[in-house]
Amino acid sequence: MRVSTLLAAALLISAPAFAQQSGDVANGKNHFDNDGCWQCHGYGGQGAALTGPRVARTALTFDQFLNQLRHPANAMPPFEAPIVPDATARDIYAYLESMPKPPEAKDIPMLYATKGK
Amino acid sequence: MSGNGKVDRRGFMKGAAVAGGATLATETRVRAQTAPAQPKAASPSAAQQAMENDPPGEAEKLTTEKTGSDFMVDVCQTLGLDYMAACPGSTFRSLQESFINYGKNTKPEWLTCLHEEVSIGMGHGYAKVAGKPMAAMVHGTVGMQHGAMALYNAWCDRVPVIVFTASAGPVEDRRPGVEWMHTVQDGAATVRDFVKWDDYPRSLQSFSESTVRAYQLATAQPQAPVFITADGKLQEMELSKAANAKLSIPKLNHPTQAAADANALREAAKMLVAAENPVIIADRYARTQQGVDDLVKLAELLQAPVIEARGRMNFPTTHYLSHWERSGPVVAQADLVLSLEPSDLYGQLNKMRDQLERTEGPKTKAGVKVISISTHDLLVRANYQDFQRYSPADLSITADGEASMPYLIEAVRQEIGDRKAAFEARGQKLLAAWKGLADRARAEAAMSWDLTPISTARIYAELYNQVKDMDWALLQDGGFQSNWPHRLWPIEKHHQFMGGSGGGGVGYQPVAALGGALAHRDAGGRTPISVCGDGEFNMAPHTLWTAAHHKIPYLTVVHNNRAYHQEVMHVQHMANRHNRGVENAIIGTTLRAPFVDYAKVAQGYGAVGIGPINDPKDLGPAIAKGLDAMKSGQPVLIDVVSQPR
Ligand code: HEC
Repeated sequence: MRVSTLLAAALLISAPAFAQQSGDVANGKNHFDNDGCWQCHGYGGQGAALTGPRVARTALTFDQFLNQLRHPANAMPPFEAPIVPDATARDIYAYLESMPKPPEAKDIPMLYATKGK
Repeated sequence: MSGNGKVDRRGFMKGAAVAGGATLATETRVRAQTAPAQPKAASPSAAQQAMENDPPGEAEKLTTEKTGSDFMVDVCQTLGLDYMAACPGSTFRSLQESFINYGKNTKPEWLTCLHEEVSIGMGHGYAKVAGKPMAAMVHGTVGMQHGAMALYNAWCDRVPVIVFTASAGPVEDRRPGVEWMHTVQDGAATVRDFVKWDDYPRSLQSFSESTVRAYQLATAQPQAPVFITADGKLQEMELSKAANAKLSIPKLNHPTQAAADANALREAAKMLVAAENPVIIADRYARTQQGVDDLVKLAELLQAPVIEARGRMNFPTTHYLSHWERSGPVVAQADLVLSLEPSDLYGQLNKMRDQLERTEGPKTKAGVKVISISTHDLLVRANYQDFQRYSPADLSITADGEASMPYLIEAVRQEIGDRKAAFEARGQKLLAAWKGLADRARAEAAMSWDLTPISTARIYAELYNQVKDMDWALLQDGGFQSNWPHRLWPIEKHHQFMGGSGGGGVGYQPVAALGGALAHRDAGGRTPISVCGDGEFNMAPHTLWTAAHHKIPYLTVVHNNRAYHQEVMHVQHMANRHNRGVENAIIGTTLRAPFVDYAKVAQGYGAVGIGPINDPKDLGPAIAKGLDAMKSGQPVLIDVVSQPR
């Protein structure tokens, strides 16, 4: 008991957990669904081959995430502070971090009926 | 071309043989129809009226058994055209009557369309599947304007469609009013920039020769639509037996397609054999299964990766040399690119970043050698810019890609020498890189598996699961569905995929699907599937009525993202660029309040309508129900509320 409580406390101060705590997930979802993110990354942040990569449970740090919004690597439209302030970006980041783990291909037999490779 | 995609030369020759005989058949019909006329008894009041109104002498002749339009039908019948698609229009009333009565509504059979964009656009889809053109007839001026975009798509996609329009005759024969509105001096002026050839024949003999010429030109590489104006006076003028006997229909030429010259191919073979990392990009290359099989031979001979550019079905997605999903790194590492029938060679080799300041750069490394084999330069016009940006090549071979392929293979065989071992080693590396691709696609498909709205990956996985044992064929290119068809489906036969719109004119999908499905129906036993965006579908939902009426079965799955989604993203880009209103991109781009009920729309047009499907778990049963309904020859629509892409 005591050990797991300690573990949980330790996890809380790791970077993603900290971000999650400091961002408002509900507000993040609201912005993800209304500020255009869904268009290219999908409503579930799952990504789409030709419009934008997966962002659900992003592996980026918040700084890297913010940097992508402000200075996109390539084709993504820039989201600068006047339209997505840092605090909103933090909420969106928290929402992405909070997204549920997707199923794995191995658990979906139907996917193995497809292309015979 | 027969159902398996091979050129059915005998079929073509049969058409040609009929050409010579057609005038004879016509003669017989003429004789049968000109049996001595029975004197008609006029009603007394009508006779009195006539005496009052008409000068004494010969009674006015009001009927005739044969007009010019009958001969026009003879001409079309010799060409072996199976279908004439049209939305009715008075400028071709005589021709229409001749087709359905004199021509007995067979070869061509008259198809009723509800918009001229359908009449022409279905020919676009039909020709890509059937391997031969069908015809469309559009009303003078207004019908032509309606059909223009479909014609542009077919032009950009280099697909033959035989299009007729009509026009009232000279001034003394035009009724005041609407006939003037629907009459045009130069019928093709509006569309001349995007048809291969056009004519306004001024005599029946001219009509005959021009129509046969038009067919020949349309089907010679590079293929493209042609446009003939059928003059109203010629259609409706009485055709005496003597005048008819003087008319003739020339035999249709079937020219061979131009293969590349031997020296150029030897040079290309030397370059291909010498390259360390050659890559083959195929776009509008394969017209037939033979083209696919030949490309497999070349790729295996060289052990070179093939990138499917999806203009046609060029290369099996299940082959270990199919590296479309790795096109970025493969092109970046290539020291030689062989591009087959590219619609945009520049775009294959270069990219441009769409930000406030547009910046460009190569996709390839410095010093890459480029060979193109293409008919592109044989058909270029000045005004519309579909010819794309100029791109230099080290060896630019103007020839038909498919016709040249057997000779290129032979040339490579002769050059290979001691390179075989190196090729084998390259092949092993490519095999290893290919092995992870299917699992990567599955892993990405899994990520969106349970999402609501339903993911496009799930749509394709559920569809394939149920049609895998059928002779299925896809009628869309799948680009707006994240290319899942090419990532998940084993596309191995030429008829299983037909490429995209060519010109990006929205409305292509439902319309070309109808034509493609018609050709698949005639080939027999196929299950055609059209996954169609809701924006696309709304341009021509009434295609389902034509399908129901003519018993053309196919499954339409509406990828219903409730938007013109490409435009949502464009407007979003601009809002971001201007740092304002990022939540407003949905204005004018989305189809939300109210939602369209596509199942009801389908039912209204006499098709089977299923949905809307919101829960991913309901998708499988809906597809099963739809496929079952198709068995009775009906068109079916399933409305799937979906993820954007
Ligand atoms: C118009 C399409 C579009 C929109 C809208 C868009 N993105 Fe992107 N996004 C992209 C593309 C494309 C990339 C790939 C990198 C690039 O091209 O800049 C990307 C990359 C990213 C990445 C980096 C992913 C990684 O792991 O490398 C993140 C995070 C991201 N986007 C978040 C967002 C968020 C949050 C929003 C909304 C505020 C958003 N995007 C809106 C297209 C878009």
